[in-house]
Amino acid sequence: MIEVKNLTFSYGKDKQALHGLNFTVGDGEIFGFLGPNGSGKSTTQKILTGILKGYGGYASLFGQDISTAHTQDFFRKIGVLFEFPYLYTNLSAVDNLRYFSSFYPAKQLRDIGEILEKLEFKADFMKKPVSSYSKGMRQRVSMARALISSPELLFLDEPTSGLDPSGAVLFRKIIEEERKKGTTVFLTTHNMLDADLLCDRVAFITNGNIAALDTPKRLKEQNSNNRVRIEYLYKGRREEKTIEIPELERGIPFWHDEIISIHSEEPTLEDMFIQYTGRRLS
Amino acid sequence: MKNFCSLFKKDCQMMLAGKFFFVAFGSLIIYTLFINFGYVNFMNARLYNVYLFDPQGTQQGRSELIHPVTSLEELNRALSTDTNGIGIDASSGTPDIVFYFGSEKADHHRADYALSLLRQDKQYNARTVGTNTPELKQRKEMSCELLFIEIIAVGFLGIASVLFKEKQMGVIRVHAVLPFSKSLFIVSKIMVFLLSDLIFAALMTVFNIGFHDAVGILPDVLVQITILSLIMTLTGFGCTMLLKDFRQFSLTYLVIAIFAAAPVFLSANTSVKMAWIDWHPFYHVYIGLKKAYFGMPVKNPVYYLSSACEIVILFLIVQTAFHKEMGKEG
Repeated sequence: MIEVKNLTFSYGKDKQALHGLNFTVGDGEIFGFLGPNGSGKSTTQKILTGILKGYGGYASLFGQDISTAHTQDFFRKIGVLFEFPYLYTNLSAVDNLRYFSSFYPAKQLRDIGEILEKLEFKADFMKKPVSSYSKGMRQRVSMARALISSPELLFLDEPTSGLDPSGAVLFRKIIEEERKKGTTVFLTTHNMLDADLLCDRVAFITNGNIAALDTPKRLKEQNSNNRVRIEYLYKGRREEKTIEIPELERGIPFWHDEIISIHSEEPTLEDMFIQYTGRRLS
Repeated sequence: MKNFCSLFKKDCQMMLAGKFFFVAFGSLIIYTLFINFGYVNFMNARLYNVYLFDPQGTQQGRSELIHPVTSLEELNRALSTDTNGIGIDASSGTPDIVFYFGSEKADHHRADYALSLLRQDKQYNARTVGTNTPELKQRKEMSCELLFIEIIAVGFLGIASVLFKEKQMGVIRVHAVLPFSKSLFIVSKIMVFLLSDLIFAALMTVFNIGFHDAVGILPDVLVQITILSLIMTLTGFGCTMLLKDFRQFSLTYLVIAIFAAAPVFLSANTSVKMAWIDWHPFYHVYIGLKKAYFGMPVKNPVYYLSSACEIVILFLIVQTAFHKEMGKEG
């Protein structure tokens, strides 16, 4: 679906934003692009969506070189959720969606009411102006805008930002459903939980370079210390021990009355990001 | 076409939401009231008083409107109190024109008037130009001037108010990923404001000149308004894309309005001479508009060709600025 080779971009003489990125995204894959602010995530997304020109290297989408791919037909096949909910604040959710969807062929459009319902949008706000919405509601309308044209490729920039935990869970569920339908998702985020739960593969980007690229599981496994931390009770006292995983094969290798919890010492995705890039995400 | 209709409909909604129509409608009412109840009634130019010192009685057949004086001292006294008056010193047998103070164009005008009164025997007849009554002439002049100011100022601000709102909402960036030609976004905005300017110009002309007199000149007036409106809305569009906020825009607006309007009015309506005025694009449009109002439309193809070039260049600049704006960070 997406192929990027030695992609470079500069905002000026001394402002090199991308230093030769290489990655591919397969059909129906959720690909996470993780990095702190200013790392080059948005620049990459803007190049891929045709907003920024003047890049170096090669990139193709839908098997077509992007220097010639950004036709109306291309834009019909993609959906983009921006980092901020860009909407006409004087129009209602329905009017916004009607307006934005008017540029697509009717046959590929989804029903506005149905999609808003799916996103658990409050029905009584549907016809009120966006200026009266909370950030979470605006994010829902923006997500509806990205999905309304049934895109084959979704660019999502911080999709769960501004949402409460239940909203974030709902969005992740919807993204999963899109993937099941065969939609490819290019997810730009610095939310590690989103990346860990959703992405088939993630790329860590920092200072315009990809520091690591693999599945979240493998990235964590490769750097795991293979230990578990066990909390237990023994003679009425609460104690804790860390042991190597192979030691568990013969059972718990110490005296105890009751096991309270066993935690693997596997690193988190954020730990891995810091290890590879030397930087925190936020 | 469907995409253009969507954009056009939304732009009309944005224009209505921005209360732009109320501003334009308010301006139309104020200008109409001013012309009909103010300017035409109270700005009638008084006749100049003409004072003649002719001790030998050499000037015969003169008008009764001439005030004879008996000495040069009396003539000087009359001119120092009536500074718009014209003195004729005919003590040498040939009339010499004397002014208290004046400027070149007005002086010629006043001298012509004084000499025409002196030579009532048809030796010095003023040439009659056009068929406009003095009132119609005043109405046309003032309508032309107010319309010029309106298109330069309010139209320019109108597009900025709509675009800054869209910029603030960030929706311009969304259009970057929608399946339509991005130039349509610009064309739609320009068309909305052009249409609004044309309606304004037509109403202004009809209300202040009268339907009967307006019908004949309206097509030529609207052609000139189209040129001016396209230049101003494109300039407004470009400035909105390049400038950060409305405060910066206001400053630029002041500079542009002063640059566009002041030299043009000074050069066209006063004796102030500016050698470079021929290079001022608005001067030619203003003269074109004035000529259209007086039924003598500009026919020089160079004028229309250079206006078209100017509009195309502005459009290309706006297009570049628009693409830059779409690529900006949130």
